[in-house]
Amino acid sequence: MLVVAAARGLVRAALRAGAGPAAAAQARLAGTSTAETRPTVRPKNEVEQKQLCAFGEYMAEILPKYIQQAQVTCFNELELLIHPDGIIPVLTFLRDHTNAQFKSLADLTAVDVPSRQYRFEIVYNLLSLRFNSRIRVKTYTDELTPVDSAVSVHKAANWYEREVWDMYGVFFANHPDLRRILTDYGFEGHPFRKDFPLSGYVEVRYDDEVKRVVAEPVELSQEFRKFDLNSPWEAFPAYRAAPEPLKIEAGAKKEDAK
Amino acid sequence: MAVAGKGAVSAAVKPIFSRDLGEAKRRVRELYRAWYREVPNTVHLYQLDITVKQGRNKVREMFLKNAHVTDPRVIDMLVIKGKMDLQETIQVWKQRTHIMRYFHETETPRPKDFLSKFYAGHDP
Amino acid sequence: MAGALRKTTGLVGLAVAENPHERLRILYTKILGVLQNIPKDAAYRKYTEQIVNQRFNLVQTETDVQKLQDKLNSGHIEEVIVQAENELSLARKMLQWKPWEPLIEEPPSDQWRWPV
Repeated sequence: MLVVAAARGLVRAALRAGAGPAAAAQARLAGTSTAETRPTVRPKNEVEQKQLCAFGEYMAEILPKYIQQAQVTCFNELELLIHPDGIIPVLTFLRDHTNAQFKSLADLTAVDVPSRQYRFEIVYNLLSLRFNSRIRVKTYTDELTPVDSAVSVHKAANWYEREVWDMYGVFFANHPDLRRILTDYGFEGHPFRKDFPLSGYVEVRYDDEVKRVVAEPVELSQEFRKFDLNSPWEAFPAYRAAPEPLKIEAGAKKEDAK
Repeated sequence: MAVAGKGAVSAAVKPIFSRDLGEAKRRVRELYRAWYREVPNTVHLYQLDITVKQGRNKVREMFLKNAHVTDPRVIDMLVIKGKMDLQETIQVWKQRTHIMRYFHETETPRPKDFLSKFYAGHDP
Repeated sequence: MAGALRKTTGLVGLAVAENPHERLRILYTKILGVLQNIPKDAAYRKYTEQIVNQRFNLVQTETDVQKLQDKLNSGHIEEVIVQAENELSLARKMLQWKPWEPLIEEPPSDQWRWPV
């Protein structure tokens, strides 16, 4: 069942925290069973996926206050979707708990989805050297809601958060040194936001009269700023008619994944 | 700010620093004072060809540009950005060009009425 | 004991522990003490007690450091000590955070839907 679903591109074993003790096997059957096989499919690592599912359940059981959802993507990546208030507790737990030990912050970035109420997703990628495994923690915010800085947990977050601040304009509360990192002094706007025009707002040139570099508003017609997103080549064919996400209820006791 | 009004609408939002408008305004005044005091230093350090008076007028103009903002969170965000700007100016991370960008000296005014747009050749 | 045999752990910044048994005993007792303040049905308490008790038993029964290391199967004994220290600080923080409470707030319905 799962193999077929993976061939269609998306297996999401979604584990909801604090749900009733429904049987996991029953939920497993909820997956679609179209007899479609493609020759070139990514080889499936059932063992790894089971381990990740089990660890996701473990996390969701321990931190039900913060974890909204735990899911394993089709590429065998465990994702924890958490409430923004839980960033420090969840990251600290992942760092300090004996069964997790995600001591290394590999990456911290953001995603802008303007149609959502909280348009920015903040993504933390963590690495556990002890157990050779990775985990992704995601949370959300908007332009005006401050997010707790993770610098107190991972020193590496310092420059990443500056980058996110610079590129997306997400404010990190209690950051020791929040300032621009990539853009020029005096630059206005946040370039990675979806509503930031591709051409920017100003263009820069050297002016011989005033003997310095000057910035002037960019001369570009609005029509060049519109993009036709309905390309004939579908960007995410795998996401066409996504199968019903596979939900597994937490509650069934399992051995620890690690 | 794209969604400036949202904070006022929803019931409970997480404040950035200020809990109410008064507090936000106090922060703005503090920032204004800091900029006001910094202007002579800046003119001297960067050897700008402007008078202190001109600089202070520019500071005032920049603050008044956002005078219509009433959401404390938006004010806080603007104050944060203003503080960072001030820090960059005080530490001389900026160069003369960055300071002088506030004055838009070389920009030619955009054609406004029909005839001058017509003379300009294209209609952006 | 260990110091007589091993001069270094081979890991930067991790000194050889003088008396790992004693150190671990103190740490594990402290962790278990902190866990007493957490509600009995909290998953964190359950799992952490399980881990700590299992390791504590090994520490009490096995006197040889090398064998204990192999049995714990978590790297050098010094690393086990570091893990215990981390767990202790975590347990103390957990008391404040109370993560066993129900979810603070559901996400907006379209928050985690992808593709949008």
